[in-house]
Amino acid sequence: MNKKIPLAILLTATATAALAGPIEEQIRFRQSAYSFAAWNIQKIKAQVVDHPETYNKDTVAAAANAIAAVANSGLGALYGEGTDQGIGWKQTRLKPEFFQKKDEAIKIANTFNEAANELAKVAATGDVNLIKTQFGKVGESCKSCHDLIRIKE
Amino acid sequence: MKVTIHIWDLPHRLFHWLLAVSVVAAYITAKIGGELIDWHGRLGIFILGLLVFRLIWGFIGSTHSRFSTFFPTFSRITAYLKGQWQGIGHNPLGAISVIALLTAVAVQVGTGLFANDDIAFEGPLFDYIDKDFSDKLTGLHSTTFYILLGFVVLHLIAIVFYRFVKKTNLVKPMLTGKKEVPRALAETLAPEHTTIAFGAVRFILSLIITSTVVWGVSGGVTQLYPIQNQQQAANESTTTTVAPPAPSSF
Repeated sequence: MNKKIPLAILLTATATAALAGPIEEQIRFRQSAYSFAAWNIQKIKAQVVDHPETYNKDTVAAAANAIAAVANSGLGALYGEGTDQGIGWKQTRLKPEFFQKKDEAIKIANTFNEAANELAKVAATGDVNLIKTQFGKVGESCKSCHDLIRIKE
Repeated sequence: MKVTIHIWDLPHRLFHWLLAVSVVAAYITAKIGGELIDWHGRLGIFILGLLVFRLIWGFIGSTHSRFSTFFPTFSRITAYLKGQWQGIGHNPLGAISVIALLTAVAVQVGTGLFANDDIAFEGPLFDYIDKDFSDKLTGLHSTTFYILLGFVVLHLIAIVFYRFVKKTNLVKPMLTGKKEVPRALAETLAPEHTTIAFGAVRFILSLIITSTVVWGVSGGVTQLYPIQNQQQAANESTTTTVAPPAPSSF
């Protein structure tokens, strides 16, 4: 009976890993996801913060939806065992301590999800001030995760 | 017998306290991030201005603001170590501390101008270098901050040491600009005819040079000489602004 528990864990782990692919692939996918999010973040920054005179409701709403889609895509699956070492598009900057700080990271991930979904919601209203504030909150959640588990260059 | 002399002129004192306040504010805004990161950037530009001003004032300010008055030369340091140094402004150790602090702040400003946070912030000169190099400078920006922090802590310890051990109040002269010194010392080292007072013309000149540099670094140069690919990007984004593609179509 007791022997079956480790086996079940092993099977689940293998299944999850198989779903996300080998280490390099997980790293590459998550780097791509964040790059794609960065592109959309830059669009919002440009039209809402830096040059509000260029604000376009549809572009910003589409960008916010894209960020929310990245946040909701289940990025956690790309942080499998061993993915603190390896090259995706380039060497990963995930700290090895990530695996000890997983609970904290999950908390931040949830904050990011909520912030990104809220951003998509306010972007649809077209209220630039609300978008600006909420955009700042998304940035804060990005930063808290970077501070926790990302290696500084 | 003591006399009161003018030691730190008003621009010097303003520089000092504005720098102290802006560095603390820059630290706080960087730690919080989010919307405040833009304020961190603005504070960085402001600190750049303070630094440029201090550099110029170090050549054309009043006597005790000038680098030539206090620069820790070899002979001054040896005299100081032998206990023979005599002076009114920064002593050689204090001068080293001043230079260390200014250099550390300059490193923070210099790296910050090219930095990016991989979220929603790019320094005003980010576009002049490639992303990898900017990432390196960003890493440095956060590491070398601790060197600055170390110098600031030493600076504060020295002030406390002077206050309670050497019974000298260093803070008051930095607030009032005035310092009490023995008459003999004042007469030999700073007789009226050798001291240079605050000059309005020199001050205005410093401000003009400072604002030109700050304007140039914070975007003026990019406006005058747009980077090639950035100009293209700007043109493209103008097109998007005029006729935004419907998000549903590719």
